[in-house]
Amino acid sequence: MSRRIVVIGAGLAGLAAAWRARRNGHDVTIVSAGAGASALGSGAVDDVPWEQLVRSARALGLTPRARPLSDDLHAFASDLGVWSLDDDHLAWVATLAGRLRPARGRDHALLDFAKLDGARVLLPRADRAAWDADSLAAGLSDDPFARAHRITFVAADVPVLRFAEERRIADGDLALRHDAEPRLAWLTARLLDGLAQTKATAVLVGPWLGANTSQSEALSKRVGVPVGEALCGVGSPAGLRFEAARDRLLAAIGARVIADRVTTIDRDADALAITLERGASLLVDGVVLALGGLTSGGLVYDPPDHSAAADLPARVRPPFTLSLHAPVTLVAHLGADPLTSDATSSMHGPAIEATAWPRGDRAGMLESVGIRCNGARAAEGITAAGDVVARRPRTALEAVAAGIRAGSEA
Amino acid sequence: MKTSRPPAVAHAIKPKRRPEVDVDVVVIGGGVNGVGVARDASMRGLSVALFERNDLAFGASGNSSGMIHGGLRYLTYDPQVTESSCRDSGHIQSIAPHLLFRIPFLVPVETRRSAKVLFELMDGFFEAYDGYQPLKHGKQHGRLTADEVRKLEPGIAGELVGGMTFDEWGIDGARLCTENAIDAIERGAKVFTGCTVERIERRDDTGEVVGVTYRDRRTGAVGRMKTSVVVNATGAWAPITAALGGLPPARARVRPGKGIHIVFDRRLTNYAIMARTIDGRQIFMEPWQNMTVVGTTDDDYYGDLDDVRSTSEEVRYLMQGMARVFPQIHAARAIGTYAGVRPTLYAFGPSEDGLSRDHKILDHTRDGAPGLYSMVGGKLASYRLFAEEMTDVLSELFGRGVPCATHTSALPGGDAVCDAIKLATRLEIDAVAARRLVYRHGSRAERIAERIGQRPREAVTVCACEPVLEAEVRYAVKHELARTVADVSRRTRLGLGACGGMRCAARCGQIVAEEQGLSPREGLRQASSFLLRQAAMRAPALGPEQARQEALAMASMRAELGVDADDPDEIEATAKSSVEATA
Repeated sequence: MSRRIVVIGAGLAGLAAAWRARRNGHDVTIVSAGAGASALGSGAVDDVPWEQLVRSARALGLTPRARPLSDDLHAFASDLGVWSLDDDHLAWVATLAGRLRPARGRDHALLDFAKLDGARVLLPRADRAAWDADSLAAGLSDDPFARAHRITFVAADVPVLRFAEERRIADGDLALRHDAEPRLAWLTARLLDGLAQTKATAVLVGPWLGANTSQSEALSKRVGVPVGEALCGVGSPAGLRFEAARDRLLAAIGARVIADRVTTIDRDADALAITLERGASLLVDGVVLALGGLTSGGLVYDPPDHSAAADLPARVRPPFTLSLHAPVTLVAHLGADPLTSDATSSMHGPAIEATAWPRGDRAGMLESVGIRCNGARAAEGITAAGDVVARRPRTALEAVAAGIRAGSEA
Repeated sequence: MKTSRPPAVAHAIKPKRRPEVDVDVVVIGGGVNGVGVARDASMRGLSVALFERNDLAFGASGNSSGMIHGGLRYLTYDPQVTESSCRDSGHIQSIAPHLLFRIPFLVPVETRRSAKVLFELMDGFFEAYDGYQPLKHGKQHGRLTADEVRKLEPGIAGELVGGMTFDEWGIDGARLCTENAIDAIERGAKVFTGCTVERIERRDDTGEVVGVTYRDRRTGAVGRMKTSVVVNATGAWAPITAALGGLPPARARVRPGKGIHIVFDRRLTNYAIMARTIDGRQIFMEPWQNMTVVGTTDDDYYGDLDDVRSTSEEVRYLMQGMARVFPQIHAARAIGTYAGVRPTLYAFGPSEDGLSRDHKILDHTRDGAPGLYSMVGGKLASYRLFAEEMTDVLSELFGRGVPCATHTSALPGGDAVCDAIKLATRLEIDAVAARRLVYRHGSRAERIAERIGQRPREAVTVCACEPVLEAEVRYAVKHELARTVADVSRRTRLGLGACGGMRCAARCGQIVAEEQGLSPREGLRQASSFLLRQAAMRAPALGPEQARQEALAMASMRAELGVDADDPDEIEATAKSSVEATA
């Protein structure tokens, strides 16, 4: 039976939920107020935080391996069309901080070093604040993975910026210029010169290769060697490419999109009534909460002492709020026992200095706070997915998997 | 452009150096008192070696309120401290004009019982302070009506009878230390940072000091330096240092008082505003450099001096007091905290605020350790005077007749004025970046400009918040004794802005490692530990906006570095096993 489903949030989790719910034949509307963590994403497609992968592999004396993913997840990734998700190996990507790190999958544009043994990688110098080819080449050459796989990095004067203002524009704007064919042809010629001059067998550039789609495959084909981006932790054009792919996918599956903010979700007999900020309201059968965590603004850290008048806060309440009113419960790691404490605090706020960031194996409060869920269910008729859910890793594949679950149960 | 001056010791008498010593004086401690003595003693022709366990300005000197204020608060019970502070504040202004900036203060007076009388009393009190203002080129106090107060600072709340203004000087304490140390080095002193003195050696029979043994905390290398005089200028560490010479720690006792500050993004007000805490203590918020600082607490501290942290309790205590006068402080974005421990003169009984801010030189001859001196107490504002008094003792000891000249000869960069706007045009850099560069380096900004002239690529911005150019980072490592990302941050304020180092720490680490010939991974390790330390110092003051930024910073660090990137073995092991898998 077709149900009316509203998905709140158009990040990875929301998109996956919408995609899955449409497959079940439901009528789907996505309500989104703007960009969140998925749009700021790095292009690394992790299932678990990579340090955790590395740590547990080391503890067991095993090689970190790519864990199998569900068919649904592969189907979603292939419909989205921006990721490489190989089952036979982990991707290894270079970060702008100068490390090589594993990832379960990657945005197509990121250069994968997993199969580049013995490569000599060219880094073109560019006069941009976040791109220091020389120190990056030195840092990456020193990386244990690079040394183990005899990958070397060399910085060279290969012009990749065409106009003077490209020294200052944002990565996203520079990436957008590479969507254009003439620019790609121009860059091809420069890189070919550079390769001839340096005898390199691969090219690593900054996060610039396309804002709508990845241009790295096309460029690699023209140049004849693998060309790809380094990973930028937040604010990479990988986020722009995701947004473009998302819009294509939403159009393809026929989901309705409303650009607005949900203010309240109320029960109305057997249905749920959703009120939007601009006044409209919707009566639906199921809601998927995929509005993101702290980064996206779905959750707000709001300690009581911040609204204190002279001495005391107006009322005692948990230090977190959801950015909309819904009949769900928030939980966070605040006390000694992370599994049972609810999101309460003293009258003045939590001892946040002890809990905010992760310590050892304990997740940080800012990363673990969220809606209490049983599976994907947050309440009757309401499922939740992505960073808004308590105690789940904040990774891309976790968001997608949770979105798929939430979408199928909605 | 003027560069360094010839040393003032050209005509000094050759010291009566005993043949078996390496240096005349060993100074322990790279805070403002230690570097002050090193500079003064070097200027008077003594050979000096200074050892600092962490970094210059690591302790109280680099974590103070950033003022060389006249000590208005001490006027009632320590007027001599007020006078010496004011006098010396004037001297510092003439030797390092580039480092000083005026901070006008505003004291709002609330309407309550006998407020009018209080107001008149305050007026008289400030009039007494006006008498000291000429010493530090300060302005006379102003008496304002309630309307005038609100006109100047509309954010001030409450019923007022009026307000008072007075005038103080702001300074970057870490820069002050660095410049003293650099000057000492240029006059022949040896300065070892990251080097801890492990033992002060004394003769068994006479108890005289004969030398120190030290260890480089990075390399583990151990060394020995022979000397007959050791100056313990280690601030809150003073009792520990005395114990290294075999003395009971109580012989160089201080009353360690922890003080924290909260840092807010941007300047929230034009005036520094005074307020009171729930227990009646005076606190303030001040526009300081390009941010706002709220301080401070004063609590007895018995924790680890190498790792002093603020707590959310302390933050709430300050916020509660400040918000009564300036309620919008709750809406402002806190971007960090910092904490230090004052080495106040010891007394059992008085509350922290009631303690004297005076300083003392302890001659440990009376404890059977001739040649060992401890400097205890003191304030940033009177460091130069304290150093002068200490060096007078040394000078007499070595039979020198050379008078002190630290108040007349300029610190590095303080000798000439450098036009920031011209510099910006010439180097094609941002005017704000140039202005900050000139603030930190005075005329020596020209040296960094020279670097950029030779290598234009170094004009690239590393830290966009402050902003800091690549050339300045390299200069700090090459010429200002910076050895880590945290050291660079102390000297340049890199990574202390709104993004908390998210964008610049890794890059800075790479540069620091490269300049010192260390492996790039050491640079990354330093960047990680800097980021984690900064995160821990931001957390106590976290608000809604900053929490968002924090979640983003965490995501960024996870994506690029890994949150346990300071454990290099882990990634090493992974890489090895991944090779085995391929093979």
